[in-house]
Parts: sequence; C-alpha cells; structure tokens
Amino acid sequence: MKNQEDNNANVLTEHFFRNEYGKLVSVVTRYLGTHHVETAEDIVQETLLKAVDHWQQNGIPKNPQAWLYTTAKNHTLNILKRKKHQISKWPINPEQADNELKEFTTSDDVIDDEQLKMMFVCCHPSISENSQVTLILKILCGFSITEIANAFFTTTETINKRLVRGRKQLKDAKITFSIPKDIGNSLDIVLKTIYLLFNEGYSPSQQNKIIRKDLCLEAIRLVELLAHNPAIKQKSKVHALLALMYLNAARFEARIKNGILVEMHKQDRKLWNLSLMNTGIRYLNQTTKEDSVSEYQILATISGYYCVSPSFKKTNWKAILHLYDHLLTLQDTPLIRLNRCIPLAKVEGNTKAITELINLNHNSDIENHYLYHATLSELYIQEKNNNDAREHLLKAIKHCSNNRDIHQLEKKLKKLVPIH
Amino acid sequence: MKEFMLFIRSEEEPKANLSPEQLQQHIEKVGGYIKGLMEKGQMKSAQPLEMDGKILSYKNGKIIDGPYNETKEIISGYYHLLAKDLDEAIAIAKQDPRFEEGIWRVEVRPVKVVEGIN
Repeated sequence: MKNQEDNNANVLTEHFFRNEYGKLVSVVTRYLGTHHVETAEDIVQETLLKAVDHWQQNGIPKNPQAWLYTTAKNHTLNILKRKKHQISKWPINPEQADNELKEFTTSDDVIDDEQLKMMFVCCHPSISENSQVTLILKILCGFSITEIANAFFTTTETINKRLVRGRKQLKDAKITFSIPKDIGNSLDIVLKTIYLLFNEGYSPSQQNKIIRKDLCLEAIRLVELLAHNPAIKQKSKVHALLALMYLNAARFEARIKNGILVEMHKQDRKLWNLSLMNTGIRYLNQTTKEDSVSEYQILATISGYYCVSPSFKKTNWKAILHLYDHLLTLQDTPLIRLNRCIPLAKVEGNTKAITELINLNHNSDIENHYLYHATLSELYIQEKNNNDAREHLLKAIKHCSNNRDIHQLEKKLKKLVPIH
Repeated sequence: MKEFMLFIRSEEEPKANLSPEQLQQHIEKVGGYIKGLMEKGQMKSAQPLEMDGKILSYKNGKIIDGPYNETKEIISGYYHLLAKDLDEAIAIAKQDPRFEEGIWRVEVRPVKVVEGIN
C-alpha cells in the first residue's frame, strides 16, 4: 500500500511529454532510418497513448522516462519484425533486432547525440527553410500541426504541406541519420533555422503568447544541445547565437502589456529577466575565445548594450552604431542597413537617417518591405512631418502581409489623422 | 449505496490526434479525477480497454466471431462506481474532465439488483 501511495505521488515535469517526444523519435529513427521518420513518429505517439491509458489509472510510475523507452523499444521491435518483408532497406537487420536494440535506452549522452543527428537531418540543405523549421518543431520539439499553425498564424493545411514536402525530401535525397562530415556548413544552416524559429516566437503579438514563448525556449534548448555536444568543436557561433537568444528572451515579458506591444523606450525595465540576461552575457564572453567574428556575436553585443543600459535615453547609441558598421562589413544587406538607421538617427539625427533610408531605396528593392516604410514613418513622426509619415504608413500597411502588424500600423495612422 | 457501470464510448481513439502536450494534460486531469474518486471510495475500479478484441455470437447452432460492431463507436474503457442513486452517478460522470475534449460519450447504467438473490 505504501508503495502505491508513493507511485501516485509522482508528478510529471512541465512539458515532459513534448520533450520526450522529440527524444524518442530521434532514438527510434536511428533504427528505422530517416526515410521512415513518419513511422518513428507513429511509434512514439502510440507509446504516449499507452502511457496515458496506463498512468491515468495507476498513477505516474517512479521513472516515467524509462517506462516510455521500454514501451517504445518493444513497439519498434514489433514493427521491425512485422514489416521485415515489406520494407527492405532498414538500417539494421530485423532478424537481429533484439540484439541491435540493446542500446536503445543507454544514456542521456546517446539521447543527446540522436537529437543532434535529427537536427542536422531536419536542416538538410536540400529542404526548404519553411519545411526545415516545421520539421524541427514537429519532430524534435513535439508540437502538433495545430499548435505549429497557431504559432505561425497560418492554417493546418499549410503546415501539413510543409511537413509532407519535408518528409518527402528526406526520402528522395536519401539523407542518412548521422552528423555530417562537413560540419561547419551544416552547422551554419542549423543555427540559421533555429534562429528563424526563435524569431518566429519572438515576433511581437498579443496572440498565442504562451506558445510563442515556448518556441523561443525550445530554440534555446536545441542550441544548448549543440553547445554541450563534443562532436562540435568550433563553438563560437553556437555560443554567440545562445547569447543573442538569451539576451532577447530576457526582454520577452516587458514587450507586451495588456495585449499590446510596448516599444523599447516605453518598457518597464524591472520586468527584464536578470537571470536570462546574465546567462546571455556569460555566453557572450565565451565567444571571444575563438578568433572569429560572427553576425550573431555582433547582434548579441548590440542586444547586450540594450540590456545593460539603465534607461533608454542612456543607451550607448554610438557603440551600437559602431557595431552595425562592423556588421555591414560581414554582411551588407538592406535589412541590416535599415536597422542601422535607428542608432544612426540617435547619434546623427533623424534627418541624416531619413536621407540614408531614401538612398537605400535607390540601391535596393527595400521599398517592398513594410518595415522600411514603418521605420521611415516613425522618423517623420518624430520630425513632426505628418504628411510624409502618413504616406509611408499607408505604404507600410500595403506591403504588410501580417494582420498583427497591420493592426499596429493602423493604430499609428489613426493618431495622425485628425478627427473631424 | 448502489453500483453503476459507466461505459466510456468513442469512435476509434479520440486521443490519437492530441498533441503530446495535450496528452500530458489529459493524464493529469483524468488521472486526478479517477484518483479523487478512488480516495473517496466512490470508484471501485476503472480500466481502459484495448482497441482490438472479438464479439462472439451464436448462430445456426455454433459460436462465431463477429461481425464486429457495425457502428464505428466502441467501448474504450469503463468505470465501476458507487453512488446514492442514478442522479448522483450522472453528476459524477459529468465531472469527468475528458468531456473538455468533447469527443467522448459515457453511458451510465445501474447494476441490476434482484431482490432475494443478491
């Protein structure tokens, strides 16, 4: 009786099922191969369903993780034996499956390695960026199609299409389940995809705040896996991306108040998360160990300047402008030039920034980007030039495809138009 | 106290389309509900049923397998309850958090008591 009471007292850690889903799919895929990743997902979903039935009657077992792995292992063995004649190219010999699957539940290190392989598989260069992000969220992070669609403000059909295309590519390109030999280039893609995922969660909106914060935390979890894995030798970029994500995530809670986006100069800095900030700074310090500079490192340093400033007014705009100049030497894109105009306006005045933006327009197709017009309109508002501000707000609305941002822009426009 | 059988009915497996996060919430909510009733002595037993099995029927002098349920709906689990009367049993059944998922049907049936024999 005592024992049973103990059992019933066990509780699951937060997001236990979601986290274990990604780990289990990775471990099972090792035995089935990437072309059977969907079968691996089915096996894991079945395993979780079994756990639900069993645990809700009998309580949570002492070691829920071990329970899941044993169940998933047996299920995998059954599939291998049942389908051995149907499918020829298993990575292991189904006849010796019992023996081969001995290592199924070895250790956290093995589980981390398998997740790492899955990360590289999902980010294979032959897969489109959209599908890469979706595969990561579905397979490695354990989000459902509906949850991903909610986070991305899109339909389940769209997400499903991206998944189908991604999985098809895994088959067609015969991608092996392993860490690639040319790790540098592949690592760059993995980092870029995870950064996209983070930005999707970080993009300001009053909707689905909880799930979007989860996206950010998942992005951090995945990059932490990369940071702790010995297979990756050059960690400077990994640490830089972690620093950037921690420093940005530190300001997550302060960015939205009563469902409305709060611009940085109006944020309550007491809501900034000091512990995330410190972790970010710690990772930023580690990036100086290697003799290389990355985009993430500069962006993280910029974010760091924002974080350590006692107020918006006291922000070190000169240093930030200098960092943007440095960033331009690595990557000269219209979007970076656009962002550079914000510290430029602070250091050299709005007029100078407006001139820069107009020149930028002549040399690129940036005028199709709503942020270009949104930034210009903000500068015009500060210069009390309401006519030009209005013109660019209207253009921003025209080029914006996202309802949440259109809503913000329309609110600004209303303030400009005098009420008759 | 009277005994009641609650048959949990569903089409196929309603939980199959839940996300891992929702499955965890299902365990926590439904598990907590069952545990609470057990502790109060109102639940004698509760078990899920496997999706496979056989229906046996007697036809032309012999016992045959199936046909399986003609409808897609099957019994996916049961509760054995103790309650004062049917109203109380129904009230208990209505508290089952699985209804929040909206895809379950629960049949509440009093266990028949025949005077003088039981």
